[in-house]
Amino acid sequence: MIRLSRVGVVHGAFALFAVALIGRSAWVQLGQTEHWRARARGQQTVTAELPAPRGAILDAEGRVLVESRALVRLAIAPPEVKGMPALATSLRRLGVPDAFVRRATDRNRKWVELPGRFLSTDAEAVMAMRGVHPRPVLERVTPATDGLRRLLGTLDGEGAAVGGIEAALDDVLRGEDGTSVLVRTGRGGRVASPEEGEQPASPGRTVVLTLHQGLQDIAEHALADAIVEMHARGGDIVVLDPHTGEIRALASRRAKADASGATALTEPYEPGSTLKPFIAAALLERGRVRLDETVDAHDGTFQLNGRTITDVHRAKQLSFADVLRFSSNIGMVQFAERLTPREEYEALRDAGFGMTTGAPYPSESQGRLRPPREWSRQSPASLAMGYEVAVTPLQLALAYAAIANGGELLEPTLVKEIRTAEGAVTFRARRRVVRRMMSTGTAETVRELLRDVVASGTAMSADLASYELAGKSGTARRMRADGSGYEDGAYTASFVGLFPAEDPQLVILVKLDDPDGAYYGGRVAAPVTKAVLTAAIAARDAALDPRSLTGPKVKPTEGAGAQAVADASAAIEDVEGAEALEARPTPFVFELGEVLPAPRAVRRSRAVPDVRGLPTRRAVHELHRAGFRVALERSSAATQTLPAAGTMLPAGAMVRLVTRQ
Amino acid sequence: MRGRTIVFLGLIGFFLVATGVIWRRSTGLAQARELGELRQRRAALEAQQAALEGAIRDASSRARLGRIAEERLGMRIPPDSLVIRLPRSSRDTAPK
Repeated sequence: MIRLSRVGVVHGAFALFAVALIGRSAWVQLGQTEHWRARARGQQTVTAELPAPRGAILDAEGRVLVESRALVRLAIAPPEVKGMPALATSLRRLGVPDAFVRRATDRNRKWVELPGRFLSTDAEAVMAMRGVHPRPVLERVTPATDGLRRLLGTLDGEGAAVGGIEAALDDVLRGEDGTSVLVRTGRGGRVASPEEGEQPASPGRTVVLTLHQGLQDIAEHALADAIVEMHARGGDIVVLDPHTGEIRALASRRAKADASGATALTEPYEPGSTLKPFIAAALLERGRVRLDETVDAHDGTFQLNGRTITDVHRAKQLSFADVLRFSSNIGMVQFAERLTPREEYEALRDAGFGMTTGAPYPSESQGRLRPPREWSRQSPASLAMGYEVAVTPLQLALAYAAIANGGELLEPTLVKEIRTAEGAVTFRARRRVVRRMMSTGTAETVRELLRDVVASGTAMSADLASYELAGKSGTARRMRADGSGYEDGAYTASFVGLFPAEDPQLVILVKLDDPDGAYYGGRVAAPVTKAVLTAAIAARDAALDPRSLTGPKVKPTEGAGAQAVADASAAIEDVEGAEALEARPTPFVFELGEVLPAPRAVRRSRAVPDVRGLPTRRAVHELHRAGFRVALERSSAATQTLPAAGTMLPAGAMVRLVTRQ
Repeated sequence: MRGRTIVFLGLIGFFLVATGVIWRRSTGLAQARELGELRQRRAALEAQQAALEGAIRDASSRARLGRIAEERLGMRIPPDSLVIRLPRSSRDTAPK
């Protein structure tokens, strides 16, 4: 039997302890390597999220409309702060409210989140203090104008897109967040780990819109002024390029503050007489009418299927062209009877009514166009006058764009390009034709008819001095909100213009909801169109291509021709209410006993003015005033004109102005 | 070589290696800290640049200038008949 000495027992115990220690160490080091490594990493490092910058939104010219910028939010841990008075001073200097400064310097509190977001450069002094914990956040910088802001949409407090283009293109604008591993330092600070690589954030893509900021500003300004001046409930302006379908401006305004920023896409309305050109186009396209064909205008009152249709002016006969020019309900209803219900329906359906346009915007309305099987006996006549159909302003503007571009209905474009953060283009919009709506010849004929509407018809108040405009006004009664019939005394006044009439660059739709006083589209909406165009022509940056603007038109300024135009204008101003379905008493009653010929501009010869010795700008001004177009040439000779001063030339002729270099 | 010398050299070697590791780690951390600060500084300056550019855009926007021009200076948008577009000569448009 082995006898154990006392020392031997102690030695044995130490030896066993040493073996156990080594065994445990070996198990910890070798068997539990990953577990302990992960635990150490968790204690020594922190994985921080790198927020991805959201993509910017630019206008068609590359001007920034919305972008993201990095700011910081500040939190204070009062127990960690050393210099309280200095912190309080710095916070006040930063603009933090006194109540929060008091909380931040109260040592009884453990953690205080300060309101607001700060530029890092502004908060630099505060951020350097102990106990101040900055947290980076991305802020969306929105445009200055209210209309554009609502159109583009916003982000909520969590950075999620709320409405507008931000929501529609959220997948594109939102980037992918990255991660970074930070090492805790002995003093509680954090630095990026030199060993562990970071996963950089992938920024969102940049979206270039077709909107033109200059024109958008002009449209918003004009709409706001018109609403205030006419005490209207709201209104919309749509401006688009008829050749590409690009939306250049989209202004909407409603009395309700929470209304959508793009009611031009979301709220349909009955268009009234602005629909008549499409019935006219259908008749012309099918050869059912000639321009000089006349119809009995029944002296302003007509019975059809037990319903009384009235025109404010009373005419005995009207030609087809004048039916459109004076917006005669009686004439249009009778001409429209030459179309079958199916043909009338197809004409309006082909114009894009009753279906969405495909604009990339949330909650676009498709409007309403019922198929013939749901029509009543009154429906063909109602549709010919622009009732029993609801369209959005964008739908109507696109249909007019077809008249402007030779008959093609286009899909609207709101997004021009999408680019990566590095500038590579990943999407570029292309012109997309939905269908051919009418032949080129018909489109040209309708455009001519619309030119007469502005020159000598119901929309003369849209007429410009130097450029020709084509267009059509419309006045329609407003449905009650619950759909139970029409609201008494409430109208929608609208005007759609094609500018310039010869080769339209822009289609402009102006709609005003329930204006006070004069409510006819030609009186109310047409001048707003003129205001938009006047500002656009005067602006350098308003999406107009000056090279393709045709030369100024010439109007007689004196003599018999001028008097004839003035007389005709006065007469037609009086018959403007022709488009009202149920005429109100009006002091402007004008009886048209016979078809009025359209007044035409008279081209007269005039002498080239003497501009020798004048500064170039003044010389150009004088020549323009005299009714000539001007081409500048540089030479060593003194200022002179070619042909020389005193030469008789027709108005609108080109005069070369030679100026000294 | 005697045992003590070997132990001494071993300790010296351990000391040097440990010093090197600590120096490398300290330097790495210092550089990482500096890099982080520079990144923060860059982000702050970029944010400030964006803020200043935004302020310039707002101040020079048509919406703001138009109102000031109309209200303070009494300026009005000219009718289209008073807008004179000077055609550019071919020399002006030629690439330079």
